[in-house]
Amino acid sequence: MATALSWQKEDVRLADVEAALAELRGEAAADAPSMRTSVMTHIAWVPHGWREKARAALEGMAERHPSRTILLFPEPDAGTSTIDARAMVERWEVPDTGRGIVTETIELTLHGRRAKAPASIVEELLVSDLPVFLRWRGEPPWGATELEQLVGVTDRLIVDSTEWDDLPYPYRRLAELFPRCAASDIAWARTSRWRAHLATLWPEIAGVGTVRVRGTAAQAWLLCGWLRSRLGQPEIELEHEEAETLEGVSLDGNAVPLPPGDPPAPSDVLSDELERFTPDPVYEAAVLAVTS
Amino acid sequence: MTETAPAQQEENPLADGLALRRTPDPCALVIFGASGDLTHKKLMPALYALAVRRLLPEHFAIVGVARTDGDDATFRKDMQGAVQQHARDPFRQDVWDELAAQLHWVTTDFADTGGEDTLHKLIEKLDEEEQLGGNRVFYLAVPPPAFPTIVDALGKRKDEKGWTRLVVEKPFGHDLESAKQLTAKLLEYFSEDEIFRIDHYLGKETVQNMLALRFANGIFEPIWNRQFVDHVQITVAESIGIEGRAGYYEQAGAVRDIFQNHLLQLLALTAMEPPIEFTADAVHNEKVKVLRALHTPGPKSVVRGQYGRGFVEGEEVAAYREEEGVAPDSMTETYVAAKLYVDNWRWADTPFYVRMGKRLARRETTIAIQFKRAPHPPFEETASEGLRPNVLLVHVQPDEGVSLAIGAKVPGQGMTIRTVHMDFLYGGAFRTGMPDAYERLILDAMLGDSTLFTRTDEVEEQWTLVDAIVAGWERDRPAFPNYPAGSWGPPSADDLLHRDGRSWRRH
Repeated sequence: MATALSWQKEDVRLADVEAALAELRGEAAADAPSMRTSVMTHIAWVPHGWREKARAALEGMAERHPSRTILLFPEPDAGTSTIDARAMVERWEVPDTGRGIVTETIELTLHGRRAKAPASIVEELLVSDLPVFLRWRGEPPWGATELEQLVGVTDRLIVDSTEWDDLPYPYRRLAELFPRCAASDIAWARTSRWRAHLATLWPEIAGVGTVRVRGTAAQAWLLCGWLRSRLGQPEIELEHEEAETLEGVSLDGNAVPLPPGDPPAPSDVLSDELERFTPDPVYEAAVLAVTS
Repeated sequence: MTETAPAQQEENPLADGLALRRTPDPCALVIFGASGDLTHKKLMPALYALAVRRLLPEHFAIVGVARTDGDDATFRKDMQGAVQQHARDPFRQDVWDELAAQLHWVTTDFADTGGEDTLHKLIEKLDEEEQLGGNRVFYLAVPPPAFPTIVDALGKRKDEKGWTRLVVEKPFGHDLESAKQLTAKLLEYFSEDEIFRIDHYLGKETVQNMLALRFANGIFEPIWNRQFVDHVQITVAESIGIEGRAGYYEQAGAVRDIFQNHLLQLLALTAMEPPIEFTADAVHNEKVKVLRALHTPGPKSVVRGQYGRGFVEGEEVAAYREEEGVAPDSMTETYVAAKLYVDNWRWADTPFYVRMGKRLARRETTIAIQFKRAPHPPFEETASEGLRPNVLLVHVQPDEGVSLAIGAKVPGQGMTIRTVHMDFLYGGAFRTGMPDAYERLILDAMLGDSTLFTRTDEVEEQWTLVDAIVAGWERDRPAFPNYPAGSWGPPSADDLLHRDGRSWRRH
């Protein structure tokens, strides 16, 4: 069970946020011993329209990945150039110990020009020596200053290409970031059960010519790219049938039986990606295979 | 799809980058002693946890074997109750239904050959129906006297189909001689790499974390030696009594119940050299070097005790000799403390103080590395009177984690220094739930990975030390009971350290 304490203020300096967090941590420890515990800094860039989804995805995640989470809400068209902040400290009981841990969430609404230099804002709030994960909701503004800046302070960029339009073209822009920062794609993670299942069809699958995927466009392209790159056959054709989730795969007209087990919950998928620290060469090769 | 003959010769390129699921080959798990406590409290809850995580093989069967009358239906019902009562995961009907369908029961005591036949026929049938490939894990969750009969029965039926693994619960023998006899019996039919001797402490995450702590961090290993370490204290304390196991405990005592296995394994992991790789043989080789280097302690370096009446959690509890099934003049020890030395280059002259016992003040298993004091603190003596030496404390259970005691300045005018703790709490940093030791060990046995099991030579070295200690005890008769239940053991255990100018850690 978690207990949450919060503070909020408009037009703040970042020092105000740090001071408020220190005070909240003290309050959280007033009744029972608490430890501030972090395994990473988790930044999420959340454009207008994604706020509730972003907050929902965090539900339960802080419990699995104690971290400092910084949610950035850009409002570049606002008339002023200020930062509004909300800081929250959550205290989680560690079962059977009588002790608790505290995790921190900072929500910053960046008005006007403040939305143009986000790295200078988050740099002051990063937890030293721990990895930084950047979750970007929607399609990143390829080449824009805010993306370039945040990628510069990030160890791993997490996107969900299911949220993008005009696939597969944006994958080319994503691939341009590979040399600078490791990337995770939630859409790719959601194909893992099917990839493991398709791998069991080796070696019969080696000569496949057409793959038909009933799922999102992202899942279809990524599965096709994966087969092309792993099997060394760039000519494998994709037939895509739109569906909200990955429901079926056929190889040369033959339906593949459903893989065993249940699909993972959304928070589990994100959580698993937060446990990866190095580039995923198999994903990168799959992305490159659909853009070439 | 077209046939691609050359591709069949290659490794599967689609397997690259996929998460390595440690899923074993199809197999039958045969549990001897399936009506016992271990099966109810540990084995079946562990199997259920593995089923929840889909870590069991798709083609799988569990056969419960015991003398108790029963059938598949009663076994399934009984095990459902065990899972609902003891599993760490919430009960899921869909997972249970799938697992329950794989449960089978055989009643036999192996005294008659008919029992062997029934079991053998069932396994053969399951092999065929469930495509188990002839792979078998035999789990001996039975008292040691039953081992030879079962091993003979299994060995005579052993065939070349698939693989066979034999999991043996402790105690592995009663002394060196009986351990050797048991090994010889097992080796009549099974090879060493088919024998898995369980010491469930090795399946605990925190015990494995000792290897991570030492060998994945550059800062500890350079100071993990006699130059910097003053001494090591290992405590395996239980607040419970013998819990109705008088028959076993009267024979075993603390030295055979805990010291011979759990405690010496913890010591070996603490003192061992870095293995060249994390494989079973490499780890066993380093552990056995430590066990061989253990200096046999003289009589004055070993203290034994037995609890009298006392209070635990505010409740008055009986003396050991008043427990049901215990002889009123029993001389069985419920507590052992010892000063041990590891005679090698790294640890020469560095004492390892170990203690273990029942009905102690609280349940706690810890490994404390106490470092030497700072050679010349430039502060006034009064400023640092509250300062204790640095201690790296590994909490094996409960409060799993690691603490480092350091000196810190008390805020305010002047310079006053006190000891504070920097804590890493497992449940705080990794909130994914700690798997039970048996989950890990059952899965490892099915996978054929014996890294976290004990090898013959380790067991024999452990018994060599225990035999030497017990031989010394035959010459004297201490005045038992000598410590009240709910205390930290007999006063002579404190004297053991006081003689060296040291004391047991404060709790």
